[in-house]
Amino acid sequence: MKPVLKNGIAVFSPQGFLDGNNTNSFLSIEDVEATAALKAEMILVSLKKVIFFNRNGLDTFIKLFLNIRKKNQVTVGFCDYDKKKYDAIKNFYQDNIHFSLFQSLEIAYLFTSSFKNKGSNVLIYNNDKSERSAMAIELHDNGHNPVIAQTLDEFNQKKVKRETYEYIIENSFLGQMGQKIATRVTGNAIIYTISSFLDNEISDKFNMDYHNNSLNVGFRLFIFDAYKVISMNIHALNFFSKLSSAAAEYNATICFVGMKFDKTPESFKNTLEDAGVLFYNQMDDILQNKELLSELGASSASNIKHKRALNKETILELPKFIDATVATLEMMTNAKAIKEHAEVSTITIKDKKDKIASSIGYYGALDGMVILVFPKNIAKKACELLIGESTEDIEMILDTLAELVNIVGGKIKTLLADENISVNITLPRTYQDVDSLMEVVGDRKGVQVDLLFNDDKFLFFLTR
Amino acid sequence: MITKATVDAFIEKIPPTPKILQECLLLLNAGELVKAAKVAEGDLALKSYLKNIVNKPIYGFKNEVSDISQIFGIFGVSLSQQTVYNYMISLLNPDKWELFKLNKKLFYELQATLSKKWEMVLRHLKIDDKEVYSAISLLPSSIIVTEAIFCQKKKDVILLRSAKALDYNTILKRLCEVDIFDICEEIAKKWQMSPKTISIVQASSGIKPLEDEELNTLGKWMHLLLFYELSQPQFVESGLNDFIDFQIEYVGDIYNDFASLMEIQ
Repeated sequence: MKPVLKNGIAVFSPQGFLDGNNTNSFLSIEDVEATAALKAEMILVSLKKVIFFNRNGLDTFIKLFLNIRKKNQVTVGFCDYDKKKYDAIKNFYQDNIHFSLFQSLEIAYLFTSSFKNKGSNVLIYNNDKSERSAMAIELHDNGHNPVIAQTLDEFNQKKVKRETYEYIIENSFLGQMGQKIATRVTGNAIIYTISSFLDNEISDKFNMDYHNNSLNVGFRLFIFDAYKVISMNIHALNFFSKLSSAAAEYNATICFVGMKFDKTPESFKNTLEDAGVLFYNQMDDILQNKELLSELGASSASNIKHKRALNKETILELPKFIDATVATLEMMTNAKAIKEHAEVSTITIKDKKDKIASSIGYYGALDGMVILVFPKNIAKKACELLIGESTEDIEMILDTLAELVNIVGGKIKTLLADENISVNITLPRTYQDVDSLMEVVGDRKGVQVDLLFNDDKFLFFLTR
Repeated sequence: MITKATVDAFIEKIPPTPKILQECLLLLNAGELVKAAKVAEGDLALKSYLKNIVNKPIYGFKNEVSDISQIFGIFGVSLSQQTVYNYMISLLNPDKWELFKLNKKLFYELQATLSKKWEMVLRHLKIDDKEVYSAISLLPSSIIVTEAIFCQKKKDVILLRSAKALDYNTILKRLCEVDIFDICEEIAKKWQMSPKTISIVQASSGIKPLEDEELNTLGKWMHLLLFYELSQPQFVESGLNDFIDFQIEYVGDIYNDFASLMEIQ
């Protein structure tokens, strides 16, 4: 069984009955390895569609996931259960729970750094005082407004005021949360979450390939969410100084938010500032300030460092890139694609009206970036399969488009793997108009293929 | 690309009921077990199928049973008819399974287990109705339909499902506005199965409850039985556990009764 990855959480959704006999069948060794490679913040098993489970059934999942946690520091556990199931789990494990329990997937999202809807009002109750405090701290650190009910009576009184709280948390248990450098994309900024003591391990935990390729696909603002950092040593200082100097070559900016210097020498701050790192107290100081965002480069991102030519390897594999894109879009839109025109040039978009775009980078044995420019109609049609209904909400269309481009990226990865060419893909980036795309692509040369889906023109562009 | 034309082409390819089977079913319907057995003798593949099924461990016979009259005698009218329908469904079995890690042997095992446990359910519910007995035969056709429709797009569908937890039934419904169980209905109509059989199997999808309370309850039992079987390790490994969505709320009111009957602890 394969998990679904969304908002940094990989979720397995078994159905029916879970016991010691069948849980091993849900997860093959390949499934476990593939899940570990996803680099998710959390790995959860949804019990929504499980009608029966016993301790043996849960144990098998937990054993497999704890192995992943040892390597990747992810949070593991269960979600989507009712009170009866929660009580059963607590009863099975008593005080020996080493995993997390979230009553719903939406509640679990609140505890990830990837979740977009920050600032939610959240009512919390747990009969264990330290547990409810731990939840409140985590939620606060993730940018939410937790309210703790100190007693069950208080909780029952408060929870009837549904309009006051966007989320109500009960029957949940944090257990051991993972500690890793999580990544999320907000608008066009990439946010890394760092915590605890920063030392020479930072260079192992930080995914440098991912970072470099994010630079290459046009991301220009990298924010380190450092609210939970206690201190940093000289090795970490050197790491961030080098990272910032390297980013400057791309005209990119590195910021630290919420970093305190009570246990870290103040001189470190000066050194980092000299290397070009900017410091802010609050995340909103950047994210809510459009002018500053623009100045820092989140919406202006011409790539000045690498203007690399397409190489022979990329050209040889070009049909696979096009096939992957066409096959995915044909499946999602149920329309046949007709190839109209192909040439090597800078990107040319004749009619910019009502177009949205998305890009995804790949790196490894080959590297480059695929850009897809959609008429809104095709984007909406393609997203209908994933959403289940048509929508005019541009945010939702762009979000779903990112999922779709992720599927295209996944297909490219699979097709190349069939030829023993190993690549990884970056997070997808979306653009709500052609102008913001052009700021990233600039005058890079690439292969442009114009396609026709039911009379709607669709553009594929592959560049490096 | 999966379109309505893909679905229509599949339905078009379903062969009509072979004459021997038609005759055999008519005789079974009239309760003529001996005559039906004689007719069945004329179809070597059916004969082999019946022998294979009856000698599976789930039936618990110590010595091999090979005579068709004896097999029909053991099964009785309702189960014999159900088994002949099972055989008809097995004719749709693909030469090679691509989407699911299945083979003929495992598919027959699923058919046999579902049939045997459906019999347990009907005895428990004190229902003795040939059409209701036969309904379980149509259920595994949903798996064959899914395999046939999606096998050419296996990789695409796997990628799609890694981005969004969509079951095959939902994907097909969103792409073509028909679902897997609608296609099963077309198969049943082509093979002149009864409307009652069709209704129960449609209800067993878990998303089309029936107004008729008795048939709807049977749909619930069938839905839960299906997921009970699809939770067995060999079917989980085959990739069948999540091929359609399990509707846990739909079966909530019969679960305790089911758990007690199947001795689930």
